[in-house]
Amino acid sequence: MDDHSLHEPGHALHVEDLTVSYGGGPVLWDIDLDIPPGVMCAIVGPNGAGKSTLIKAALGLVRPVAGHVRFFGRPVTRMRGRIGYVPQRHSVDWDFPASARDVVEMGLYRSLGWFRRPGAAARARALAALAEVGMQDYADRQIAQLSGGQQQRVFIARALVQDAPILILDEPMAGVDAATEEVIVALLKRLRDAGRTVIVVHHDLTTVRSYFDWLVMLNVRIVAQGPVARVYTPENLRATYGRQLAMIAAAPDDALP
Amino acid sequence: MSVLADLLASHIVRTVLAGAALLGAIAGMLGAFAVLRRQSLLGDALAHAALPGVCLGFLIAGGRDLGSILAGAFLAGALAALAMMLITSRTRLKTDAALGIVLSVFFAAGVVLLTVAQARGGAGSLGLATFLFGQAAAILRSDLWIMGGIGLAALALVLAFWKEFKLVSFDPDYARALGLPVALLEATLTVMVAMAIVVGLQLVGVVLMVALLIAPAAAARQWTASLGGMVVLSAAIGAASGAAGALVSASTRGLATGPLVVLIATAAVLVSLMVAPGRGLLWQALAARRARARIGEGRVLAAMQGLARAHGDTGYATEGGMLATALGGAPTPARLAALERRGLIRAVVHPPETTPHWELTAAGHAEAAALADPAGRAERSP
Repeated sequence: MDDHSLHEPGHALHVEDLTVSYGGGPVLWDIDLDIPPGVMCAIVGPNGAGKSTLIKAALGLVRPVAGHVRFFGRPVTRMRGRIGYVPQRHSVDWDFPASARDVVEMGLYRSLGWFRRPGAAARARALAALAEVGMQDYADRQIAQLSGGQQQRVFIARALVQDAPILILDEPMAGVDAATEEVIVALLKRLRDAGRTVIVVHHDLTTVRSYFDWLVMLNVRIVAQGPVARVYTPENLRATYGRQLAMIAAAPDDALP
Repeated sequence: MSVLADLLASHIVRTVLAGAALLGAIAGMLGAFAVLRRQSLLGDALAHAALPGVCLGFLIAGGRDLGSILAGAFLAGALAALAMMLITSRTRLKTDAALGIVLSVFFAAGVVLLTVAQARGGAGSLGLATFLFGQAAAILRSDLWIMGGIGLAALALVLAFWKEFKLVSFDPDYARALGLPVALLEATLTVMVAMAIVVGLQLVGVVLMVALLIAPAAAARQWTASLGGMVVLSAAIGAASGAAGALVSASTRGLATGPLVVLIATAAVLVSLMVAPGRGLLWQALAARRARARIGEGRVLAAMQGLARAHGDTGYATEGGMLATALGGAPTPARLAALERRGLIRAVVHPPETTPHWELTAAGHAEAAALADPAGRAERSP
């Protein structure tokens, strides 16, 4: 592939004029977005702001009515398998008959290719990914018997095993206990420090400044984007959350240095 | 045993037996995927929707030609699936409403066509009604080859695309993000289910066919926690139900095979829901009972240790009546007996009283202390 085919290759994620509609009004309107490589980026916004839709559209799971998306200059169809995706935990049936290792191995299904079953090498990689999220002792546990936080870690291990330069996580901290959140954040920071780009749909404004270094504020349209220190301002919060701000303004994060 | 041998001596019985077992295996294998993808009811709609296709196939072929009847059934099923897809994607109706509408409309059209076909008469048109509930005896040797071929094709597909089908059944969004052709894989699974239904129409009929998809899979899920185990077991339960239904039907005059197969498969579900280890209702009831007993026993131990401490005497003999008062009700003799069996308390006499007395053993003291401090217990146990 020659470099002429690349469009905006300097950005890990480049979104231009993206508009998504499910038949009614727009869910996302005229999104222009650039996320540089090697940052840990939060996408925040109120309920219904289109956070999940934005990453689904970026991943090609939702068809936009307008606009385009590039990862390192390439359309998503040419980045398949090289974007680690962690969907919302509640998007699947955890009573599915599978062990934690089975689920993690799913992250290798594409690189294995057609007709090949995961073997010893895949097993070893899956176990290593489980160890990275601190779940090595649960490899053969039924996924139904895992706690919510453990299920979330299995999902993250499944994305890790892809060894992808970009990770996109949809509310990974929703409904997990504090210890798990700590493990997840430490892991994501480690990945970021190793040069990966980590994009997280996040719901807890109080932790934005301590967890992330890049911020996208979304409410159907982009309100603000950039380094957290510059973007996390009362004006932007008000513009993003409107009336709900009263609760958020009391968030203790402002006390952080 | 000789009854069985007599039955198997009959050519027809052997054919029906093989057909029912084969159908059960195919439906069981594919049903596992349908159930995991929450598409059991799609199977029901496809089965009912096959009826107009059966009748049209008959009318066009001008007779009971199995090839055109099955082709008609398959096309009608595909049309129904398409209609459902359009209704859910283009209107605000949800999947269940779309299923209900398509199922009943296609079935009604089928019944109308059935009466038309029967009014036209012609040899064999009366036999069309057997597609409602199936007629196993109508199965021919040649039909077995068709069923066997479809079964082998389905097996080959499932083996070839095993990991893809697994991922698509568990998490289609992730599969799509990985770049797998999810729509194609899902369509393949659905078409295979439709094929299984079509081959089952003769035997079980459009009304009951869905049970053969759901029941073996639901039963199998209770016993195993791996997809491979579930698919194999589901196929085995389906095959066994088919064979058993065929045999019972053959040994008793006038009992229809299809409904018997369905009843037997459903019995397997019932048994599995009750007794399967871990997931079965009886199993869970037993576990709850055991937990209750443990809590009750723990309270007895704690009360006895409290009394022993209050008296500064680890061997303090507690009178049964005191325990009953402390616990707000007599600890049942069975509970005390269980504690004694576990070596945690022992019966003692405490003259001059003649009532039963109990004292904690050393193990009982340790257990009571551990119960009072569950965190410490968790640390100690590996």
